[in-house]
Amino acid sequence: MTERKRPKWADWADHIRSLDDPAKNFDKPEALDDLTIIDLSSRSMAGPYCSSLLAELGAETIRIEAPGGDQVRTYSPNGFTHRGTGMAYIQEGRNKYHITLNLESEEGRDILKSLVGQADILIETFPAGKMDAWGVGYEELAKINPRLIYTSITGYGQFGPESGRNQYDYDNVAQARSGVQYATGEVLPEGKTLEDMPYATSTKAGPWIAWAVSGTFAAVGILAAVYYREMTGEGQALDVSTPEAYERLNDYMLHWYADQGVINERFGNLDTCLWLYGFYPTKDGGVFLGGLRLEMWKAFVDIVGKYDEWGAEEWTTLAPFMKKDWQLKYQAMINPETLKYTSQELTMKSIEYAKKGRLAPITPVVAEIVPPWAAMHDEVWRDRGVFTPVQDPVYGSIVCAQSQWKSTETPPRTKWACRPVGYDNGFVYLKYMGYGPVKLRELAEKGII
Amino acid sequence: MPDVFKDYVKKKFSKPGPLKGVRVLEVCTLLFGPSGPSFLAEMGAEVIKIELPPAGDVTRSLNPFGWFYKEQSPMFMHINPNKYYMALDLHIDMGQQIFKELAAKADIIEFNLRPGVTRRWNIGYEHIKEVNPGIIYIEKNGFGQWGTYAEQDRPSNDGASQALAGYAWMSSFPKRPPLKQSIWICDYYGGLMGEVAVLAALHHRRKTGKGQFIEMSQTENIMRVMNWVWPYQQLAGKGVEPTGNRDQCICPADTFLCADNRLAALAAPGPDEFLGLCRAMGRAELAADPRFQEHTVRLQDENALAILKIIADWARTKTADDLEALGKEFGFAATRLHNAKDMNEDPQRRERGFVKEIDDPLYGRYVEHEFPVMMSKTPPKIKWTVRPVGFDNEFIMAKILGRNQTQIDELYLHGVLGKWKDMQGRRPPSDWDGQAGYIIRR
Repeated sequence: MTERKRPKWADWADHIRSLDDPAKNFDKPEALDDLTIIDLSSRSMAGPYCSSLLAELGAETIRIEAPGGDQVRTYSPNGFTHRGTGMAYIQEGRNKYHITLNLESEEGRDILKSLVGQADILIETFPAGKMDAWGVGYEELAKINPRLIYTSITGYGQFGPESGRNQYDYDNVAQARSGVQYATGEVLPEGKTLEDMPYATSTKAGPWIAWAVSGTFAAVGILAAVYYREMTGEGQALDVSTPEAYERLNDYMLHWYADQGVINERFGNLDTCLWLYGFYPTKDGGVFLGGLRLEMWKAFVDIVGKYDEWGAEEWTTLAPFMKKDWQLKYQAMINPETLKYTSQELTMKSIEYAKKGRLAPITPVVAEIVPPWAAMHDEVWRDRGVFTPVQDPVYGSIVCAQSQWKSTETPPRTKWACRPVGYDNGFVYLKYMGYGPVKLRELAEKGII
Repeated sequence: MPDVFKDYVKKKFSKPGPLKGVRVLEVCTLLFGPSGPSFLAEMGAEVIKIELPPAGDVTRSLNPFGWFYKEQSPMFMHINPNKYYMALDLHIDMGQQIFKELAAKADIIEFNLRPGVTRRWNIGYEHIKEVNPGIIYIEKNGFGQWGTYAEQDRPSNDGASQALAGYAWMSSFPKRPPLKQSIWICDYYGGLMGEVAVLAALHHRRKTGKGQFIEMSQTENIMRVMNWVWPYQQLAGKGVEPTGNRDQCICPADTFLCADNRLAALAAPGPDEFLGLCRAMGRAELAADPRFQEHTVRLQDENALAILKIIADWARTKTADDLEALGKEFGFAATRLHNAKDMNEDPQRRERGFVKEIDDPLYGRYVEHEFPVMMSKTPPKIKWTVRPVGFDNEFIMAKILGRNQTQIDELYLHGVLGKWKDMQGRRPPSDWDGQAGYIIRR
């Protein structure tokens, strides 16, 4: 690797790294190691994602599945499994204790109540009403443990006209219901039909973003509820609906329609609100170009050598560029220019421009649009601890996305990746219920665990 | 409905927010930065948004195709509710001193600046820690505070993160160019995850008295979401390919074109759900077909494409509303695609108070999204929207720092405190009466 020149503030970078490098995570305390969580999630990955975020911070997390295991263990591209487990669960089983319990049986529900009596937080994703029908809804459990923070993540919420629906919560359905999918996707050119171009339609995001967002909102709500509980001693019930959670990250669409009657439509790889802001083709793929200040847009025009020809000197405001017709006009002018370079060349031009361009240090944002394969093999992310593999005693070395943030005191960390179904029955039932091997055998024979 | 949520919306204002008593300083611009503190403000924290006078946050200029609401950016309004607006020049020594006085009385400080800027302004973590050892201090940006990309001084934003994480690349249809999301997902999601970090740190501080420094890169953060992608690439030894609206980890789960040329999404991986769907199609025998019976077998690309084709042909004979109704009847997940009109008109969103009207002293009545976690004892709530640059200076200076008007005027004179520029989005709306919204009236 060639020697690179470091910035003036390199001492700052070194100082911060010395304090928060994820390589030192295990020298540090854990923020949530005084909390016990019960994760009853079923079919939804929003719940396991939520409990992962808390388990990464040290919460003792008991993941309860029906005997035989939860359906989420099968979620995987092409049905691909590793030692019997799908890729989603191998990633979000992290740091948890995996036990089985049959909630269809009364004895199973009694055991759940005993566990709840010793827990701080419960997470569940059954269709609303299911837990109540089992006699383990919030009202019942709060009697046993008034400090309990009981969190439901569902498709339709715990109240409201649709909440009675007996349907599970799935990411793709939530994306469709959030309004985000509607406005995302390639534009169908006039005169074409979906039969000609089936891809020019409303398009969901590839990752499980709706589940991730509802799981993260739930985690934020839980931590706020913990704060309140520490002050007052009171637990409470939390209700998160996945489509609502994802919709909350939608921005101006609701207001625009309510005030102007405008339905926000797809605008391809441009942005209804922003200029310069979009994806553009290059010789070897594509880049994102961004410059939300006039000078950044001018700097980009300078980089591609059109500063004089396009009259950039005369521009005094970005406002007209955000209009739809201007966006389309300039997009058509930019495309042939970016196609002259590789993505890497354009990226380096932007970095160099910040040093010696006419508008330096101002420079546009240029970012190569990479496949996830390239992201995973990018040395910069690896250096920052994002893809550090976990040495799991059951599954071996597993790449786990982690260190999503760094901290000097209580950083998140991953200790193990996953566990097979019921793997921790021995430990957890002994620790929380005093059940030894004899009792566990008896419960297994009765189909309780 | 469980009793615990009975009259939830009606009784919202008889209960406190969960973060009552938490004070937050925000020095953030655009979306990634301000979104996080907004979530805290919605949960009852006192959030002081500090902008550089007189132009303030860049978001004040942004708009969809030229539409402003009462000369204000609708995005700025959406991203910044419930805050107090202060304009303080942090480039100058006296501004930095005032900031430190506020920081001494704050719990959380949030920044989104390039690496090293806070130190240059003498309000870096080390400076603030001296006056407030328990401070929780977070810096959010594109590439973190160290590492090759950070040290290249690269600017970044949401679109760059979608590009660099592989997120956009796996969000298109097969063989199509990568697709950008219509929302600024890496900004908003990063802001949200930042609050997981901050609130966990608050819990730790309660136990130990210790504060901390947190840094977050929005690209690293969005890669955490793409969970199954990474072990799949590692263990299968190949890159993840885009699959359009088909969920490649769950089958069937896709979006279908219906008889009325509208779209509906459905998912039915569970045995009961899949059987329900097959029955709804009048093809119960498919549930026992060896290609489709087991979920892991059904997920294999060849089988998945086969069953999705069967469903697609059937869906084309039903309306989107039919599909949704059949899902309810036969017990599989299904919805027609919602858009902005549905957001505004859907009774479910309204009755849950998720979509509601705000009654703001400066901006009047308008429709907004509520915080999406309903909390039975401590309902989060949006109360007011944004303010002009420096609008609440007097209130903050008097309430927190005990300054009188003469002292405050002195600070204006030196350019330490500032008020709005006479410019769209910075000044009050044109129908403002000169008083409405002021907490301390002059």
